Amino acid sequence: MPPPSRPTARRLDRRQREALLGFLFIAPLLLWLVATIVWPLIASIHLSLQDVRVIGTDSAFVGLDNYGRVLGDDRFWEAVGRSGIWIIGNAVLQTLLAFSAALALKRRFPGVRVARTWIILSWIVPTVVAVVIWRFLLNASGGGLINPLLSTLGITDAGVGFFSSGETAFATLVVINSWRWFPFITVILLAALLRVPSDLYEAASIDGASAAAQFRYITLPLLQPTLFVVGLIGTLLSFNVFDVIWLLTAGGPSSDTTTVPVMIYETAFKQFRLSQAAAMSVITAGLLVAFAAFFVKVAKPKEAF
Amino acid sequence: MRIRTPVILGAVTAVAVSALSVGAAQAQTELLIWHMEQPPHRVDRIQELLDEFNAANPNIVVRQEPQNWGEIYAKAPAAVAAGNAPDLLFAIPDFAPLMQGIGALQPVDDIVAGLDEAHGFYDAAVEPYAYGGGVWAVPLYNMAISLWYHRPMLEAAGVEPPQTWDDWAAAVEALSADGVHGIGLPANRHLYTDQTTYAVMVNAGASELYNDDGTVRFESAETAAALEYYGRLFEFSPPDSANWTWGEAEACFASQTCAMILQFTVITTYDTQTDGDPADLGVTAIPHAASSDGGTISYSNGVMLLTDDPEKRAATEAFLTFLMEPETYGRFLNMEPGLFLPVTESGAEAESFWSDPMVVRYRPQIETMLENSQSGRLFGFTSGNIFPSIASISAQNLIAQATQAVVLDDMDPAEAATEIQERMEDAIR
Repeated sequence: MPPPSRPTARRLDRRQREALLGFLFIAPLLLWLVATIVWPLIASIHLSLQDVRVIGTDSAFVGLDNYGRVLGDDRFWEAVGRSGIWIIGNAVLQTLLAFSAALALKRRFPGVRVARTWIILSWIVPTVVAVVIWRFLLNASGGGLINPLLSTLGITDAGVGFFSSGETAFATLVVINSWRWFPFITVILLAALLRVPSDLYEAASIDGASAAAQFRYITLPLLQPTLFVVGLIGTLLSFNVFDVIWLLTAGGPSSDTTTVPVMIYETAFKQFRLSQAAAMSVITAGLLVAFAAFFVKVAKPKEAF
Repeated sequence: MRIRTPVILGAVTAVAVSALSVGAAQAQTELLIWHMEQPPHRVDRIQELLDEFNAANPNIVVRQEPQNWGEIYAKAPAAVAAGNAPDLLFAIPDFAPLMQGIGALQPVDDIVAGLDEAHGFYDAAVEPYAYGGGVWAVPLYNMAISLWYHRPMLEAAGVEPPQTWDDWAAAVEALSADGVHGIGLPANRHLYTDQTTYAVMVNAGASELYNDDGTVRFESAETAAALEYYGRLFEFSPPDSANWTWGEAEACFASQTCAMILQFTVITTYDTQTDGDPADLGVTAIPHAASSDGGTISYSNGVMLLTDDPEKRAATEAFLTFLMEPETYGRFLNMEPGLFLPVTESGAEAESFWSDPMVVRYRPQIETMLENSQSGRLFGFTSGNIFPSIASISAQNLIAQATQAVVLDDMDPAEAATEIQERMEDAIR
């Protein structure tokens, strides 16, 4: 008697079976993405078309009213502008700090292994703890460390209120956020730096290339793929920073540190305009997708190394 | 051995009946409380009282989950929508309208009436929660802001505790020398700044945020005068006070970097973090403008009932009856001695309140706080009017934003009042 047939399995060739297997492998991840990204996005769009003020209350369909209100609100565009400055400030400072740290940690010196591990300390410390530490350090009315240091060095002759004006508050937040995040970028850059073949530098040295020339013509080109990824992900992560700002200034003084995420939170949970906040979120998601597409187009590495 | 069917059925029935009766005996009504008294010693004191109540009432189990004031305005409505709200939730007057507005609260008129009959609630404690045809929270404790000062520092500067705005400004100036700040005032976008600013507004005759018809009346000459005066004092405040909440102000006072601050209390910090003599700790009513009778910001904290389960309601009544008994109530208030003031006549006389060692040491200060609280008012709850829309104004810290506009952005006080009036109107629209 012939064995029972398995028509489905027989109809698939090897390539199809591999494709099916591959799909099965990524299916859980796809489901996870649908559950955590696609579904919330759809829910946000639905919410943005209603007039919900407080979560859980009755609502009515209002079409695009919330979008009109947000797009016509100067304060929203001011927050977008602040977020832009926030991204640039953090990108510049974090890149400088991370590159400096990565280049230093690439060298061999006693304790480098410990240093490579401990560099991530400020990144793994919970945000609330980091905020408490910085509040203490910046305290000007007893107990702080930075004000006495500035005074001892003769830089200031009176206590500095780091959060007393919009400009200083914003700059202070950029410094604190960069301090918190640069180790993450350092670790990525360090991993990339360690992968650069040392014989390239040896050959360049033999040819008389200076350290700056080696950095310009060897290190930077070989780091390009890493910098591309760091630039894209870092920008998106930086844009979405909320906790540090909220815990230190709550968007103040006045609205001088109110970035888009802070404004969305305030609109939803302080002004109790949940649907309007959802409209802001959808618009912001659109802006970020547009930025990501633009970034990929202009900054994607042209060559594979 | 052969076992007959009726015997088996009988045995099964007996076991089932027995199990049911055991289950009935063990059936407990569980109550979950969310409160915002997060400091560990307050949580411990509340737990101590819960343990006593649970032991005395084996059919009821009350549990606590401390929350954060900064998040509760967002978290509580979300919990209600998600169906996992607590049974009881602590409140301040401007939080209750938010929860009542989404239909999350059960009226507690009968519970309040029963406790009132037994213990005599102060009217001012209940009034902020009585509107819309019901009482929406059971008052638990009162809080009032006073002016705290270091008596020796004032004596050294040759100034008396200020009573009027002119005295106050002169005292602040005289005390500001040699690294000492005459006053510590916040200018953060925070509830603390709302409170200190409103305390100054009350003393400028600008306590009314609403007209009788419910329209906003923040924009006034009195408000502008209060903002202008706040700005004058703020010039003597520490440079980082623009970002202060309650804790930093207390730290400044404890370290004697600030000679005076506006605060609900500093007693615990002063007693535990300084070696100061209780007699050196001064407290007085907030100074007032010549045109005002004076007053302060004061309000009762309460507890709201969210569950509509009759058994849980009965358990709540039993628990609150236990809590408000004079022998218990003082211990509850003294989870933070010198901060929480009684809202009942029996509580104000309770031995359990006045016998706490710290309360004994600082009795004169606490009596002054009680006296100050009698002239207390709260924005949105004045002149017998209750305007639930104050929740939207309060949640955005719009009063604090007026202060920031004046003291940090150098905006003209009248212009700041006008701008914030517009934002308040937008907030309640």
